[in-house]
Amino acid sequence: MNPVAAALGAAFALAGSGAIAALPAPARWGPAVVGAATAGVGIAGAAAGGAAVSGTVWQAYLPDLLPLAGVRLAVDPLAGWFLLLVGGVAAVVGVYTIGYLGRDGHGPAARGALAVLPVFVAAMLLVPAAGSVSTFLLAWELMAVTSLLLVLGEHRHSPAVRTAGLWYAAMTQAGFVTVLLGLTRLAAAAGGESFAAIRAAGAGLSPVTAGGVFLLCLAGFASKAGAVPLHPWLPRAHAEAPSHVSALMSAAMVKLGVYGIVRVGFDLLGGGARWWWLLLGALGAVSALYGILQAAVATDLKRLLAFSTSENVGLILLGLAAAGVWAGAGQDGVAGVALAAALLHAANHAGFKTLLFCGAGSVLRSTGTRDLDALGGLSRRMPATTALFTVGALCAAALPPGNGFVSEWLLLQALLHQAPQAGTVLTVAAPVAVAVVALTAGVGVATYVKVLGTGFLARPRGDGAATAVESPRSMLVAMGLAAAACAGLAIVPVVAAPALERIAGELRAGPELFAGGGVDLRLAGIGSIVSPLWVAVGVIGLAVGFAAAGRALGRARRRAPAWDCGDGPLTARMEYTATSFAEPLQRVFDDVLAPEQDVDVTPAAESAYIVRAVAYRRRLPDRIEAHLYGPVIAAADAVGRAGRRLANGSVHRYLAYMLAALVAVLVAGVIR
Amino acid sequence: MDGGLSGQDPACGAGGRAGSRAAAAAALGAGLGGSVQVRHVDAGSCNGCEIEIGQAFGPVYDAERHGVRLVASPRHADVLTVTGPVTVNMAQPLRATYEAMPRPRLVVAVGDCARDCGVFAGGHGVLGPVGDVVPVDVRVPGCPPEPAAIVAALRGVSGR
Repeated sequence: MNPVAAALGAAFALAGSGAIAALPAPARWGPAVVGAATAGVGIAGAAAGGAAVSGTVWQAYLPDLLPLAGVRLAVDPLAGWFLLLVGGVAAVVGVYTIGYLGRDGHGPAARGALAVLPVFVAAMLLVPAAGSVSTFLLAWELMAVTSLLLVLGEHRHSPAVRTAGLWYAAMTQAGFVTVLLGLTRLAAAAGGESFAAIRAAGAGLSPVTAGGVFLLCLAGFASKAGAVPLHPWLPRAHAEAPSHVSALMSAAMVKLGVYGIVRVGFDLLGGGARWWWLLLGALGAVSALYGILQAAVATDLKRLLAFSTSENVGLILLGLAAAGVWAGAGQDGVAGVALAAALLHAANHAGFKTLLFCGAGSVLRSTGTRDLDALGGLSRRMPATTALFTVGALCAAALPPGNGFVSEWLLLQALLHQAPQAGTVLTVAAPVAVAVVALTAGVGVATYVKVLGTGFLARPRGDGAATAVESPRSMLVAMGLAAAACAGLAIVPVVAAPALERIAGELRAGPELFAGGGVDLRLAGIGSIVSPLWVAVGVIGLAVGFAAAGRALGRARRRAPAWDCGDGPLTARMEYTATSFAEPLQRVFDDVLAPEQDVDVTPAAESAYIVRAVAYRRRLPDRIEAHLYGPVIAAADAVGRAGRRLANGSVHRYLAYMLAALVAVLVAGVIR
Repeated sequence: MDGGLSGQDPACGAGGRAGSRAAAAAALGAGLGGSVQVRHVDAGSCNGCEIEIGQAFGPVYDAERHGVRLVASPRHADVLTVTGPVTVNMAQPLRATYEAMPRPRLVVAVGDCARDCGVFAGGHGVLGPVGDVVPVDVRVPGCPPEPAAIVAALRGVSGR
């Protein structure tokens, strides 16, 4: 039996039995059952992905499973890459869930919401495994609905959860509609709905049809991926969902939007015009910049991580855009590097964002707050969580020796490589893209310094942080697994090279991306080389060496209290907060972020010169959301209100409507 | 180095030790290599001494010619100048400032109040002279001392 088929079969069987077993299980065991099932589904999915990326392809047609179209599955290396990614994330999150929802757990572990978790993971595995339009759409919708149920898990506890659920439901369904329109149009034009048939006919489509299909699919996939300006659901849903769900959504589900763009753009439509990819690149650049700027000024830990997801998706989209542009220009080798950079960054982001969201969940579970301005001092009370979160932050900041560094280096290589005959547009666009990546990386470092410095170091600023306790072992083990995966990807990314080469070859990009064995990443076409292992050894060795030398050679040390201007002990109120740390950045990017500030001075009754109280309020609304979605929502609201007048509850009026409708139909029939 | 050092002043409370301290200060001044960073603390002064210290660093006397600089934190300072009798409220900040200084460190008490509480001796809220709170190395007499005397005392420390 094909190993992919066996592993996928096991995953779906486990998901079903896990969901069914979770319903009658006693409340005490529910989280353990669901967590184990989810982890099992993840491991099986990762096994299927691992087999697929090492060259085992699998196709199946199950005509009796669903009426009309049947179910068609097809796993190739590209699908395998995303199966591996989703499976890996789910395996970690499954283990994490056991502790997170377990005894003294955080939030309500409602049975229904629990049972949905393995089904959600199975749906995410089904998306890349789908081999036809109908199966893909079915899996996509299943994924959207199950994730919506999971987002709403704590709806009884906070009205914000309900708002987030509404936004997510509206945007995910709108995205589904555009994908549905795009793919059905594509299937109709190609004369067949299996991906193989579309692939065969894809190159012969008229440019208008292909462009329309690409635009429709891009709208849906980019909104699922959280690309600006289709992002407003993301900071809400990721912040308000239970943290294990946030981790799954941000690390795995968002990547399936990327998968959709790769599958439709590169595979089914076979490349396409240059403007597609320039548009995608613009989308990516805007996402990267806007995402990281909002993350830099966010004070809600999970909202910050959500905006950082938008940023990383932006970088991935930039990589895909570069791949599309270079492939169209006949530069297959560079296109392959860009594609590899995008896919590797997707995997890297999955690794560190799982770790970071799990870390945020541990903090939330232990302190009861996500507000960075009320946290602090966790390094003493939650040392293991802090250490693991630090690993994730280092990776997310794209500094060596983190894994984000490797994929961003690859991305920069692909963007910097400028063919002599590139033309004016590209000679302008590529350097701009490089600048965007550089600025994003810089602000990213500031963002994660802020998170770590104000959230975990210093002194506790609130009661929740002051009484925090370390998380249960299963959560720490899960975060340790994610950290180990990040470290592996950071130090020996060369293990992913054969898989990336296979995918690039399959998508008609450069077949030979990486040259030679060993631990270095050698780019064959560009002639560039990086050695993450030696970079890591060098950085860590230098840091340890300097510390040891300082200790050995330094003068006698004197321990002295922190200088407090002689005015008594320092209090937590005097510390830098997340808000104050980000204030200079907010000032620099004032025109982009447009913060709303309000200072209210209340003078004393005796004299206007004596101040009794000063109130300071600052809000950082999402500007794109307010300007782009505000009018749409207001218009929909107005139409709804106007429509209400049609149905005022009078039976006579409804009978009149019926009569009018009947007459209209009859008249129409007679006229024809 | 002429009469500005209170080591030669018979009115000084801890006169016996002060002579050797002055010598130590002079020796240390050589060790400081002609560069002295000064942190100033007003421990309860009437601000007369502050005006004179300001003059000492002004364009007329310009103590910076002699390698003496005022700094904004005791962490950066070799020398602490203190004025005024030490009030009850300023005793602890003065001690904390002294503790925050890196070693070696010297204390210069500027003005009569810093030496022996001057006209404020026995006053409400007055704890005592500077020497009661932190060890004093150099004393500058006067109410207030002239800028030239302050500069001379600081030159004794800087050695140039």
